[in-house]
Amino acid sequence: MIRVEREPSNAGEITRITIDRPGARNALTPDMLSAMREALADANTGGYLLAGDGAVFSAGFDMKLVHEDDAALAAMLRELSACVVAMRENPRPVVIAAHGAAVAGACALLAGADLIVTNDDAKLGYPVVRLGISPAVSAPTLALRTGAGAARARLLDPALVDAREAVRIGLASESCAHVEDVIGTAHERLLNLASKPPNAFATTKRWINEVDGLDACDVEHALDASLSIVGSDEQRARVASLWS
Amino acid sequence: MSEFARLDIAGNIATLTLNRPDKRNAMSIDLLDALRAHVASLAEMGEGGPSVLMITGAGRSFSAGMDLKAVLDEPGAPERLLGSIAELTLEVRALPMVVVGKVNGAAIGGGCGLVAVCDIAVTHPDAKLGYPEVDLGVCPAVVAPWLVRKVGAGVARRILLSGGTMSGTDAHHLGLVDQLAEKDQLDAHVAALCERLAAAGPHALTVTKRLLNELESEGLADAVRRGAELSAEVVGGEEARSRLAKIYGS
Repeated sequence: MIRVEREPSNAGEITRITIDRPGARNALTPDMLSAMREALADANTGGYLLAGDGAVFSAGFDMKLVHEDDAALAAMLRELSACVVAMRENPRPVVIAAHGAAVAGACALLAGADLIVTNDDAKLGYPVVRLGISPAVSAPTLALRTGAGAARARLLDPALVDAREAVRIGLASESCAHVEDVIGTAHERLLNLASKPPNAFATTKRWINEVDGLDACDVEHALDASLSIVGSDEQRARVASLWS
Repeated sequence: MSEFARLDIAGNIATLTLNRPDKRNAMSIDLLDALRAHVASLAEMGEGGPSVLMITGAGRSFSAGMDLKAVLDEPGAPERLLGSIAELTLEVRALPMVVVGKVNGAAIGGGCGLVAVCDIAVTHPDAKLGYPEVDLGVCPAVVAPWLVRKVGAGVARRILLSGGTMSGTDAHHLGLVDQLAEKDQLDAHVAALCERLAAAGPHALTVTKRLLNELESEGLADAVRRGAELSAEVVGGEEARSRLAKIYGS
């Protein structure tokens, strides 16, 4: 359900990581997230394009799995946090094509990328407090993209926002007028980044990571906050109500 | 005796109203005491209390800011006033519920400081917001730590050093407020926002807010309290006194 393809380009080989579960709006499972994380560990690629097949980038965690077993939610939160760190610490560029929708856990993935392309009608956001789940895990990395003020407002309000608002707060880098242009535009942006001299690119990215103020302890602490209410009565009742 | 702040609780949503409309809800020691008493009662309710607090102003303004006129000639009073707004901001931030600011009209100086403390602030395009303190010879030291956290250090520097005020549209553009609604739709927009928040899992909201507070807590309380001292020092200086005297016409 995660497709990993190497393809040649005029900037060297790049890696396409495609979420391939369009029948379930690309809902993410622990295995898919761990496959994504493993695919991001390729030392020989020029860069990564993370995209989704079908109508949307991804609707987030597979709630059916959460309904069946709390452990799946805990595993996905851990893998999500690890994926974001893997993108951020990657010496190569990572671009996400977030077309259509990037919701909840899938929206949290965006915070790890160097650039995020979406489309005007796309819906993005963190509606998980409705389900008794805390999006705290995203707080430190989202705050780096949007600032702490917008991250606070965004994580507490379960409403989804459109691309215009996402670009205003810095959650997305740019928005295409037409949904069918998102993956192609993201591909172009990746080729541009991948064509930079690799040492200068990797050194600059590493230096930004050092100076942007992200504390590894905060990342752990935020993950723990989300994990602390996995399996709460509130979460179980609200997730169960999705199928009642 | 008039009630300088009103607290109304309806189900899961509390509303705290600055209620001194004849003075554009200027923050006097009495008004701050009234606000803080209500905030303390909300804090005592803890997680079992309302999950959303909406703060707004009675009448046409949100708040015209610190009522310095009333305290200028009383020794020790500026320190008390500024110390009180500093504590109020810390107490509001520490509340377990999500705090929404409905900026119904002008939010100036300390009034706009309270806006920056809200988790989610909403206003309309024609509202007037800002920090004109430097124009008055005063230092917006209490709000500075909050504004830096709300809009980022670069934008905060520009806003606080430039003084003046801005429109609701510009405040939204700069991130000082999070959402913008047309003036005649502000009430309905904020009501819908509060309903949405109140329908979320209260425990999930509380855990998320607590984590957000923990991530920003380092040095915050010290900076806000030190800001109150610094601000009082500047208010007591000759520059501020002569400028404020001109404005107050005394």
